[in-house]
Amino acid sequence: MRERAMKSLLQRIALTWLCVVACVPALAAAPPSARLLLPDFSALGSAATDSVAITLDAPLLNIAAKFLDSADPEQRSVRDLIGGLQGIYVKSYTFNKPFAYPSTDVDAIRKQLRAPGWQQIVQVRSGEKQSAVDIFVCLAHEKPIGLAIIATEPRQFTIVNIVGAIDLDKLHQLEGRFGVPKLPDEAKGPPHAAE
Amino acid sequence: MPQIEPRVPDDAFASARAGEAAGFASLVRLHQPLVYGIALRMLMDRALAEDLSQEVFLQMYRSLHSIESHEHLAFWLRRVTAHRAIDRLRQERRTETTALEEAAGVFAASLGDDPMLRKHLQGLIGQLAPMARAVLLLRYQEDLDPVEIARTLGIPVNTVKSHLKRSLSLLRGQLAGLASINL
Amino acid sequence: MNEDLDNTLRKALRPVDPGEEFTARVLARAAEEGARGDAVTPPSPRRVPRFIWAPAALAASVALVVVVGHVWRERQEEAGLAARDQVMEALRMTSEKLDLAYEIVNRPAPPAEDGSGA
Repeated sequence: MRERAMKSLLQRIALTWLCVVACVPALAAAPPSARLLLPDFSALGSAATDSVAITLDAPLLNIAAKFLDSADPEQRSVRDLIGGLQGIYVKSYTFNKPFAYPSTDVDAIRKQLRAPGWQQIVQVRSGEKQSAVDIFVCLAHEKPIGLAIIATEPRQFTIVNIVGAIDLDKLHQLEGRFGVPKLPDEAKGPPHAAE
Repeated sequence: MPQIEPRVPDDAFASARAGEAAGFASLVRLHQPLVYGIALRMLMDRALAEDLSQEVFLQMYRSLHSIESHEHLAFWLRRVTAHRAIDRLRQERRTETTALEEAAGVFAASLGDDPMLRKHLQGLIGQLAPMARAVLLLRYQEDLDPVEIARTLGIPVNTVKSHLKRSLSLLRGQLAGLASINL
Repeated sequence: MNEDLDNTLRKALRPVDPGEEFTARVLARAAEEGARGDAVTPPSPRRVPRFIWAPAALAASVALVVVVGHVWRERQEEAGLAARDQVMEALRMTSEKLDLAYEIVNRPAPPAEDGSGA
């Protein structure tokens, strides 16, 4: 009886192991995840004087695209940009005191951006403004599939996560419309005036 | 026998709602600087601004029954004028050159004899995107705070603040440049 | 400088009165509309004879379907416009933070400490 139970257990372990071995190649080939797990920041939300939380999954982006006016250059650029996206997620909190948000919240996000696929492309710090901006791109087969921005300022903390085939050239084309500048590694001259 | 126009805004409102022409006339006289001012600075064209302003007042005439009070009327007029002007700008897509030429005198009465400043301001404000321009006008012509502006335009308060910050930064930079050229 | 700009803008953007001729034109157009009967007036209550209730009920059902369809389309439009506004807001905030990075990178270098002016 005991031998039968042992044999049954061993069979079950072997079966499980076979399944794992079969799945490993699939796991190894799985693309990195461009979607960040953004905490609900409920404690921050109650302390902030202003908070913005935007969650736009693919269905909402498709609906929004239908209402963007292609006759308006600004809205046309936006429609082109969001065409290949699966999601846009923004959380931003404003406080009436400097650095009222704990750095642990920021660090938790940065930890996710150390996952495979994510590369930091911009890291800027300003002692004068006491501000920092980190920009990350998630790559799969050398193509960008996600963008993340963490911006910390004395009275504001913002995270942007864009998921999908983000076209960095199209992001550049928004320049002047939202005042989007060229990304620093491509800046060659003085900034363009905002529209 | 001609009707005497009510002088007190609430009386004018009540009179207009009751269908009295004198009340309506009083409301138009009272609010035409607000409506025409927004229309003119948005569209940068006197003829278009007058056309739009007339449409707003006619819409007011048709909608008086749904406007609750005189205070609500001011909000309603700002909202309708701003939205119509934004829609008109987006449809018409006027060239900047045309807008500047036809906008002669948009600020004339207010800025006295400083033609350079006048020309620059109208050019700079004309460069702003429709929504940013509307935010600036509601702030400086109507003296609304960001929360009131957000309510009027139906956009988030943060968006209002961001538009103000960018627009003022642009104006400040350009006007500083003008000052240094004039030294 | 901030106060100067604020004052300049308030002065430049004071409301503009288009004058009496404008008022007259508006009143004339409103009078035309009033004469045509275009202005909205509240309906007066009436008694409906019983014998026309049945077709009236049918007409009311059709009207209800039309109204419901209209309300549904309006709600869809509202949802679409709200989604559009959210997209614009999200991208505006994205560009704001990219601007911040750009400003930090492009800030002028501090003057040399040795006073060489290099």
